[in-house]
Amino acid sequence: MRARAVSAGAEPPGRPGTTAWRDGAAFSFEEVRHRYGAHLAIDGLCLSVSQGEMVALLGPNGAGKSTAMSVLLGLARPQEGTVTVLGTSPRRAVADGRVGAMLQTGTGTGLPSGVRVEAALRLVGRLYRSPAPFEATVARAGIEGLLGRWTHQLSGGQAQRVRFALAIAGDPELVLLDEPTAAMDVQSRRAFWTMIRQFGTEGRTVVFATHHLQEADQIASRVVVVNHGRVVADGAGASLKAAVASRRVHFTCPVPDQARLDALEGVTDVTVAGTSVVLRSMDADATIAALVRGKVAFRHLEVGSGGLEEAFVRLTEPAPGTEADA
Amino acid sequence: MTPLLAFGRFEIGRLLRSWKFLAITVGFPVVFYMLFLGDHRSGEIVDGTVPWRVYLMVAMCTFGSLVAGLTAGGGRLSAERLAGWSRQLRVTPLPSWSYVAVKVTATMLVVLPVLVLVEVVGASFGGVREPAGTWVALTLLMWLVALPSALVGVLIGLIVHPETAFPVVTGLMFLIGYFGGLFGPVDRMPHGLQVVARVLPSYHQASLGQSLLDGRGFRAGSWLVVAGYAVGLALAVLVVHRIDERKGLA
Repeated sequence: MRARAVSAGAEPPGRPGTTAWRDGAAFSFEEVRHRYGAHLAIDGLCLSVSQGEMVALLGPNGAGKSTAMSVLLGLARPQEGTVTVLGTSPRRAVADGRVGAMLQTGTGTGLPSGVRVEAALRLVGRLYRSPAPFEATVARAGIEGLLGRWTHQLSGGQAQRVRFALAIAGDPELVLLDEPTAAMDVQSRRAFWTMIRQFGTEGRTVVFATHHLQEADQIASRVVVVNHGRVVADGAGASLKAAVASRRVHFTCPVPDQARLDALEGVTDVTVAGTSVVLRSMDADATIAALVRGKVAFRHLEVGSGGLEEAFVRLTEPAPGTEADA
Repeated sequence: MTPLLAFGRFEIGRLLRSWKFLAITVGFPVVFYMLFLGDHRSGEIVDGTVPWRVYLMVAMCTFGSLVAGLTAGGGRLSAERLAGWSRQLRVTPLPSWSYVAVKVTATMLVVLPVLVLVEVVGASFGGVREPAGTWVALTLLMWLVALPSALVGVLIGLIVHPETAFPVVTGLMFLIGYFGGLFGPVDRMPHGLQVVARVLPSYHQASLGQSLLDGRGFRAGSWLVVAGYAVGLALAVLVVHRIDERKGLA
């Protein structure tokens, strides 16, 4: 069986220090576990992100993305494991003004009532020891036209831009965005990501959580798939599409011949377990035609997309001998 | 400017600008006081030594501080937490304690005009005559002992959901007011209720105000109760705020 879950989350425990903070790391999780009551929100999370990376945390609702962000911000203290942010503790990093964040606000705007945008932004700038110049923040977030508005007069998309401005007002090294485009229409979404991409080119580390595959793929240079509180896959955004485009072909075969199956048209990966065979194929039609032509004795044929999670596990299989987490 | 000062200035400015809210918060106890003024008992000596009209004015100062604390501290804070603004502040370098410290300070600032207005009404329509120095001392004293009221408000604001904030705030306002002996003399209450009244801080806040006007002098017991409530509530506010922070975005 060639397939292996690769994520750092699958690393055997008892190897402390292997993903320890080193020069250039924006943050790292080592074997982190965090539970809310009976719910294990983060379950053995291991992840290290270098400075300057643009990373998408991709996963379904409840996968642990928001909890991971809370932990990075020192809002939640995990019961087990070590979290290092910019070489120090999450709380220290936030208190030193080195981290900025745009959190989920549910139904609220995330902004104070009864003030104009400019006043709120100036206040947040003053909370930092060395904030970015006010005009620079305004320009980066593209909110020149909103400064004079009352916070309750903003549309959903405008409020998100203002909240992004608040997140970057302190000129942070690390910016965390938790589903930042949740309340936006298609157009504001596009404009927002253009702005984030520009911001990311300035050498800062940007991490955003999303459950939109496309967003992750188009914006991030690295996509980390999280599910059930651990990393299930970790790879470059560009290879994502190919992995997702591939199909999973499943059947049973009395005597599977791995080498022969490997050679079938379109097949990129073969997993054999007893009589059960799973092929990953870039062209399922051609693969099945080849199965028939090659007189492979298959039964119970099923073709499926395999799901994103599985696609990612394939995607991030390491070459032998390499470290699992980049 | 330090983060604490910047945030304090911002919050107080924001509060002062919401004049509709302030007008209702400050106006309510004053109007409520006026409803009591027609009472025929005004000259009667109650609770041992003070005429009812004096007792009432001091009681209404205390009630006013409770109204201001619960609405300015409670209702507003609760709504703000739901909107996500307080959470945004938590991910800035603003120290966690300064958020609640500023909230309590801002709430105390709302208490002051309530006290002054109640006293103005007391002096002009309530039949209370005192030398100027006594008025100043009374205002400062009532303001100082209003601290538990402001803290109760902030504590409620940290605990309750905005949807339930209104009934909780109004409910507490009238329950504490009634059982604390702010709507009628404590010595006319049934014995069991008198015990309840003496456990509540509002009775002792009012009692300290009366002691200034009736010449009974220093009431160590009341000072102890008020100080005890202030310390206890301040600790509760800090603890609840910490728990609230930890909850993060579960």
